[in-house]
Order: sequence, then structure tokens, then C-alpha cells
Amino acid sequence: MIQLIFFLSIGVLLFASLFFLARRNPRPEGSSGALIEARQALTALQGGLLPIEFVHRVFAPDDWEYVRSEAPAGVRSLFLEERKKIALLWVDQVRRQIRSLRHFHRGSARSYARLNPRLEMELALSFAGLAIACRLLQAVVYVGGPFAAPRLVNAMAGAASHACKISEQSLAFLNAAQLGVLNGPSTGRAAV
Amino acid sequence: MWRWVIEGAGIAVQLSLLVRGLQNHQFRRYYFFYTYIASVILASAVLMTVALRMPQEYYKWYWPLQLATLVTGYGILLEILNHVLAPYPGADRFARISGLVAFGVIFCFAVIAPIVFPRLSTGTVIEFERDLRSVQALFIFGLLALIFYYGIPIGRNMKGMVLGYGVYIVSSLVSLAVRAYAGHSFATIWRVAQPLSYDASLVIWLVALWSYCPNPVPDPSIHLEEDYEALASRTKIVIGMIRTYIGKAARA
Repeated sequence: MIQLIFFLSIGVLLFASLFFLARRNPRPEGSSGALIEARQALTALQGGLLPIEFVHRVFAPDDWEYVRSEAPAGVRSLFLEERKKIALLWVDQVRRQIRSLRHFHRGSARSYARLNPRLEMELALSFAGLAIACRLLQAVVYVGGPFAAPRLVNAMAGAASHACKISEQSLAFLNAAQLGVLNGPSTGRAAV
Repeated sequence: MWRWVIEGAGIAVQLSLLVRGLQNHQFRRYYFFYTYIASVILASAVLMTVALRMPQEYYKWYWPLQLATLVTGYGILLEILNHVLAPYPGADRFARISGLVAFGVIFCFAVIAPIVFPRLSTGTVIEFERDLRSVQALFIFGLLALIFYYGIPIGRNMKGMVLGYGVYIVSSLVSLAVRAYAGHSFATIWRVAQPLSYDASLVIWLVALWSYCPNPVPDPSIHLEEDYEALASRTKIVIGMIRTYIGKAARA
């Protein structure tokens, strides 16, 4: 019986992927249009990033400690509500960045002959882990407020840092000398 | 009786596929695919002749011919690799590594196993074929996962080829698994279900390959190396920014 379930599961798995293939959008994603779109998305993300100090403030409990001790109940609830909105927006921003990075990476890696399958699988898992962590953080902030999940923020930071390291390795082949020039003050290399 | 009608219809569709392929000069473009179709026509014709003239010898012929078509069926996967993934060397390399592993497994099953186990019973043969089909199913699944993951475009001809072969593999795997589990009580359904599912695949192939539809390729006007460098530079900056943000958040 277990054998039967096992082989039927393989059949169901393949059938589901064939179903998705049949319903897939025929738009050629590898066209120049798609590449230009990806570049525009990266440019927009770079231009729309939030200031670092602001991010520091979003999850820092200092402001909340002050408001809780000094302000009336109405102000406290308004503060929490607004801070929650900001935290959710921040997580959403990070999630979009990661998605853009993944999109870019997949778009370029598929054409590179020296692609490393093991590294690719590791990267795919890291991106998936990050996407899940972002969603989870959004849910926790939505339910418990902006100061409810400092550990999850840390875990997400760790996963993102890991994905970034692997991304760097996989992109190192492009032009190590030129990329070295880019490691200027804008990259914030020493931050993590 | 119904079984022979279904198999006869299958041979008719296969012949139409071959004729249409010759008319459209697709035979040269999809060489492995049409070689597979030709091998199946030949195997079917031999099996039908044996079944009509020497029915007691049927299973003696069935297994080697089924193995031969199973190996030529791998040509369809090669065709997909050549046409869909060739413009994307990275994804192609990934697929070829996993394809070689899958082919090695199939080859060992097809060539070495009959030497090691020369007297396989009917029940074992069914389980053996089921195992081979599951390897092919997993390979197609991996190939599709790769196509989805890297967002690789796929044209009508290739899409039909994958869908047709996938449908056949799924139905074969399911019917073989149930046949191996249920035993002879499922044999009557199995004898009809197998050729019927293959006919369904043939119809998919006939429709998809009716006319030549080249697979979309990356725009050659893009200077890929330049774009790589530009995109990599930007991504590098974005990676740095993500690090900075998340690092700040982690310390907050």
C-alpha cells in the first residue's frame, strides 16, 4: 500500500506540473523587454529605499518606552497603530527587494555556462527561506504589533545575510575587478 | 477487441505524425522525437503480428520491445533539452547533469538488470517497468521545475512534446502502480488504459506538431555581457543595501 501511495504521489506531482505548464503564460520571459523591466525594477528599488536611521527606529523600543510612560492612552494606541503600519511597510519593502534580487539572479544565471547547480540550489533555498520569514514577520507584526518579534527580525537578518553571501559568490564570476570598485561607501558592506 | 481498435487507431495517428513531420520538414528538426515515433510504430507492428499469429509468445516479445521504446523515449527528453534549454547554458548544464544521472539509472535498469535477472516473472516485469517510468517521471518533473524556476519560455511544439510525453508517463505510472498492487483483477482495465493513454498523447503531439513553431530564444540584439555587468553592478549595490537595512533592524 505504501508503495502504491509513493508511485501515485509521483504521478500526481508530475500531473500538477503538467497542468501548470499547460496554463503557463506564453510571454517569453527571457526577452529584452523582460530584462529591461528587471533593470527598471532594480533602479526603482534602489531609488525608493528607506533611510537607514528610519529602519533603526522602526523596531527600536525606545520611542515606545517613552510614549508609554509619558502619553495618555489615546496617544499610545495611535502611536502603536502608526508604528505597526510603518513596520509592515518596511517588511514589505525588504520582501520586494529580495524578490527583485531573486528575479534578477534567475534571469542572468540561466544563461551562464559555468553555473554551479549546488550553489543554485542553496541560493533557491535561501531565497525561499527569506520569503517565508518575511511573510511570517508580516503576520507577527500584524497580529502582535511592531515590537513583538525581535527574534524573528534577527532570524530574517541571518537568513538574508546568508543569501547575500551566496549571491555574491554566484555573481563573482562576472567581473571581480570591476565589482571590487563598487564596494565603496554606498554598499554598506560592514553593516552585517 | 477494443484493445486492437485502440492500438490500430494509435498506429494510424503515429503514421499521420510521421507523414506530417516529413511534409513540414520537421523530421530533421526533431530528429530524436521522430526516431522515437518510428521505433514505437515498428514495435507496435511487431507486437500486433505476434499477438495475432503467436499469442502465447506475446510477453516474450513485449518486454524487450517495451524496453527499446523506453530507451528511445529518452530521445524526447534530449529533444527538449536541445530546443528549450540550449539558449540558456546555465539551466542547460543543470538539466544535463540531472539528465545524465537519470539516463544512467534507466540504462542500468534496461541493460544490466536483464543480464543479472534473466528470468523475471510477469509480476516483476510490471514492477520493473513501473520503476523505470517513475524515474522518467521524476526527470520530467525536474526539467519542468527548472523551466518554471528560471522562467524559460517554451514554444508550442516543445510544450506539446512535453505535455504529450508527460501525460503518457503519468498514466503509465499510475496504471502500472495500480496493476502491481491489485494484481490480475486490474489486468483487463490496464490492457485498455495503457494504449488509450498513449493515443491521448499522440493526439496532443499531432495537434502541437501540426506546423513548425520555433521555440522563443533570447533576443540576440541584447549584448548579454554588457547587460550582465550592468545588472550585476546594480545587484551588488542592492545586496549591500539589504545587508545594511537588515543589519540595522537586527541590532534595533
